[in-house]
Amino acid sequence: MNEQLSALIDDEVSMDEARHLMSALNSSAEVGETWAQYHLIGDVMRGSSTLRSSFKHDLMQKIEQEPTVLSPNAASMQHEATPALTDEATAVQLPKKIPAYWSVAASLSAVMVVGWMMWQTPVANQNTSMQMASIAPVQPLNTPVQTEVAEIPTEYLAAHQSSAPTASAYFIQTASYSE
Amino acid sequence: MRIILVLLFAFIAQHGFAAEDDEAAWQMLQKSAVAAHALSYQGIFVCNSGKQSRSVEIKHMFDGQNEYSRNVVLDGAPREVLSQDGNLVIYNPKNEKIVIEKRRGHNMFPAVLPKNLDRIKANYRLKMGGIERVAGRDAQVLLLTPKDQLRYQHHFWVDTEFGLILKSVILNHQNEAIDQIGFSQLNLFNTLNLDWFKPKIDANKDYVMEEENATDVDTSLSPHWMLKDLPAGYRKVEQMVRKVRGKDFPVTHVVFSDGLASVSLFIEPLAKDVKPKTGASSVGNTNFYSRASGFLQVTSVGEVPAATAASIANAVVFVK
Repeated sequence: MNEQLSALIDDEVSMDEARHLMSALNSSAEVGETWAQYHLIGDVMRGSSTLRSSFKHDLMQKIEQEPTVLSPNAASMQHEATPALTDEATAVQLPKKIPAYWSVAASLSAVMVVGWMMWQTPVANQNTSMQMASIAPVQPLNTPVQTEVAEIPTEYLAAHQSSAPTASAYFIQTASYSE
Repeated sequence: MRIILVLLFAFIAQHGFAAEDDEAAWQMLQKSAVAAHALSYQGIFVCNSGKQSRSVEIKHMFDGQNEYSRNVVLDGAPREVLSQDGNLVIYNPKNEKIVIEKRRGHNMFPAVLPKNLDRIKANYRLKMGGIERVAGRDAQVLLLTPKDQLRYQHHFWVDTEFGLILKSVILNHQNEAIDQIGFSQLNLFNTLNLDWFKPKIDANKDYVMEEENATDVDTSLSPHWMLKDLPAGYRKVEQMVRKVRGKDFPVTHVVFSDGLASVSLFIEPLAKDVKPKTGASSVGNTNFYSRASGFLQVTSVGEVPAATAASIANAVVFVK
């Protein structure tokens, strides 16, 4: 089933042939999860999602605080996880081949992919969530992540001063106009 | 009984005079609003905003029909603002180029007031102060105080002879001057030639026009948001769709004013992979407030108290 889903994402199966896949998607929550995860992994591989800049740092802290990620089998799996970074097809099958937490030990980049996937995965999938609890970032999954703004962004200030300047803003430009 | 009557008369007399005084102050302010457009004058004024200060040379002429003015910044980059009946052409030095920008201008010093003061009267009180000397001239101080906490205090020094505003100061709620413009030198003139009405051209620089169509007037009503409970006295004066640096999509820009102070409100769709921004900050007299409303990112910026910036951003209601 997972291979078929992977093929569907890569446009290797026509929609007619995939009709049974679509009904499976609708009927089974687990297949739906896999479908969403494959798409996410694909997005990350293509670079269309942006990782939070502090992601690596937060993740490494989490790993350091959690000794259980160092499974005895991790070392032997390392050579399998690393190629996942460069080969999209391998990456798409990553969750099937190896338990995701082994890749934490394997390489940071692989961890980032899986961590990102977990971060985006709804809490419904309890089995994986328990395995992955050690590397999931602290953000609660269902609340929107917000960025605190500490200073006035110059792009808005410049737009404001251009359309509604004060008498001194014609001559004193607090927004930086350098390009 | 007689004592009470005397006190009563005294009370009425005092208040009667006070009301007359206010009326005289409003008349003086009204005269200064017109004088700034109708007189021909030249001089140098100094702007102070935040920690920055600039001297500006101004020449303003009214020929009976049209107004012309040229403002040259004397410190730092030689920015020039030429104005003809409120149509501005700004020569803005940027690195090795001079960028030519076109704008509308309604409040260039000393013409900082609208000709119609009704909106200001609705939101502020005006009192006479003392007589003080500014730029070698006698000036009547006028104290414009807000009726609520949603705007700042303004003090004006009005030339007792010409009626021109010689100095204008904005004070925050702690009574600190946060913005100040005042003449250091001023003369009237009555010639009508226009040979001065041109920018000083630097032959070594490239002159380029600012990117066209940076803004478009927007008269449509968005189905996705509406405004509810705007802060008292602030009204929408302009709405446009504009390009904002660093944004892929055009942003809706709404300008609000209480007659003197302006606030900009920016509304944009929140892209799926972009985190909403929240927060408030203050630089000099400018306050900034940002929040998410449904699938919209809402941002307000203006030279108004923090509470006003917040309540304008909070007035946006997301409609599904």
